[in-house]
Amino acid sequence: MGYAAEFSKGIIKENPVFKLVLGMCPTLAVTTSAENGIGMGLAAMFVLVCSNAIVSLIRNIVPGKVRIPVFIVVIASFVTIVDLTMNAFFHPLHKALGLFIPLIVVNCIILGRAEAFANRNPVLASIVDGLGMGIGFTLALFILGSVRELLGNGTILGVNILGAALSAAGMTFSPVIVMILPPGAFIALGLILGVINRMRRAEA
Amino acid sequence: MTEKTSAGAVKKQSWVKYQKPNVEVTLALLPPALFGVYNFGWRALLVILVAQVFGFATEFAFVYRQKKPVTAAVFVTSMLFALIMPPTIPLWIVAVGVVFAVTFGKMVFGGFGQNPFNPAMTGRAFVYISFPVAMTARWSQAADLWPRGLDNYLVDALTGATPLTAGAQGAPVPYWQAFFGFTGGSIGETSFLLIALGGAYILYKKYANWRIVVATAGTAIVLQTILYLTDNFGLTDHHAVDPLYMTLTGGFGLGVFYMATDPVSSASTDTGRWIYGAIIGVATVVIRSFGNFPEGFMFAVLLGNTFAPIVDHTVRERNKAKRAAAALRKGATT
Repeated sequence: MGYAAEFSKGIIKENPVFKLVLGMCPTLAVTTSAENGIGMGLAAMFVLVCSNAIVSLIRNIVPGKVRIPVFIVVIASFVTIVDLTMNAFFHPLHKALGLFIPLIVVNCIILGRAEAFANRNPVLASIVDGLGMGIGFTLALFILGSVRELLGNGTILGVNILGAALSAAGMTFSPVIVMILPPGAFIALGLILGVINRMRRAEA
Repeated sequence: MTEKTSAGAVKKQSWVKYQKPNVEVTLALLPPALFGVYNFGWRALLVILVAQVFGFATEFAFVYRQKKPVTAAVFVTSMLFALIMPPTIPLWIVAVGVVFAVTFGKMVFGGFGQNPFNPAMTGRAFVYISFPVAMTARWSQAADLWPRGLDNYLVDALTGATPLTAGAQGAPVPYWQAFFGFTGGSIGETSFLLIALGGAYILYKKYANWRIVVATAGTAIVLQTILYLTDNFGLTDHHAVDPLYMTLTGGFGLGVFYMATDPVSSASTDTGRWIYGAIIGVATVVIRSFGNFPEGFMFAVLLGNTFAPIVDHTVRERNKAKRAAAALRKGATT
């Protein structure tokens, strides 16, 4: 596969959330708004790209039996970097995401790519793979966060859309509060997966 | 509601599948519904009609392409959903709620007979959590005796208490008022008398299982009695109302007779029905007495629905093991 294909497969064809249904914990928990979704996606993408690169570099010197603990240590190091950096420079976002930043360590997308891809491929391909998967993850979280924020709060990225549209039409907007609560995450994800599967079937 | 009747001969290309139990349950709900109109005004009728139209349309949209008829169960779902709305509820919330109830409570699981949760309760939980202000803030109060709502679109709505919340605050309404239904509250929940009459009818026709009714009401009453007595002896301080008042107020009657007994989402073994009813009864009293929500029946029924399959499974496995052991003993003696 060429680099372009390695890059683009993570975005649509093998999208980690919509196609592989991996990393559900952060996907469902932090997507109460589009902003949180993007923040979580970018943090995971940084860890994914860096850990893919390092894992690919050391793949020939790590004994097979202890590779998983070694990968986890590599991943945990980058998660710590992200955690401290976000706390310093994006403090409100860091507070909103809370526990889920340290939990990137156990995000199965990252370990999955290390094991399935970076462990067997050269550095540059691994970085491209990590970028593609990271963008796919971020995109999925942004879409899910937008849907939930739009219905649950009337806004996307803090821009008042639904409320403004309805008040222009002479109505008042009542937020569907359940959409920014945990059940809303499952309902929205289920509907999005349904729409995507339907589109795929129409293509095939 | 059961497979027995769904086999009832229906002409082909009929829009609606006639299910005798569901049609009769809907009819049994008419007296409380009409009383709601009498009690609160013509708007209550509008709420019921909106729920019926949108409920029917939602199921129709799903079954249309499969060329299947709409099941009569949707009338029960829509009617129950409308009866547990406050009379002041905005009509669009009724529409959204009943569409959600039929779509996510029933059709996404494969339609009639496949739903793990009671659709009307699913819809109400969605509306209750999403629009708490519209669901709880304003209640029509009981006013004069005649003609009450009949010359009104909506009896004056006030930020007031329902008998349920009034009882919790230590200012209960008289028993006769709660029994006959001359109180505030949701459209169809106020009159215990009419609900119990309809309930007795569906029990008599075996559309509802008596074990569930007895188990649910029994556990709730026993537990409430214990709370009431410990309160009276000064051992605890839960402000527990007496068991009779608990039975007459809120959604208890509708819940016991119509929600808990939904044959699709309740337990289907006899032992399982006792356990299932007990879960709902206990959960209702616990949520009403200790929870943040004034009414616990909705969450209790959803909890009971959650446990119904595993309760059934356990009961069936035990029965199987018992039969196997009995067969073994018989084989050993002969």
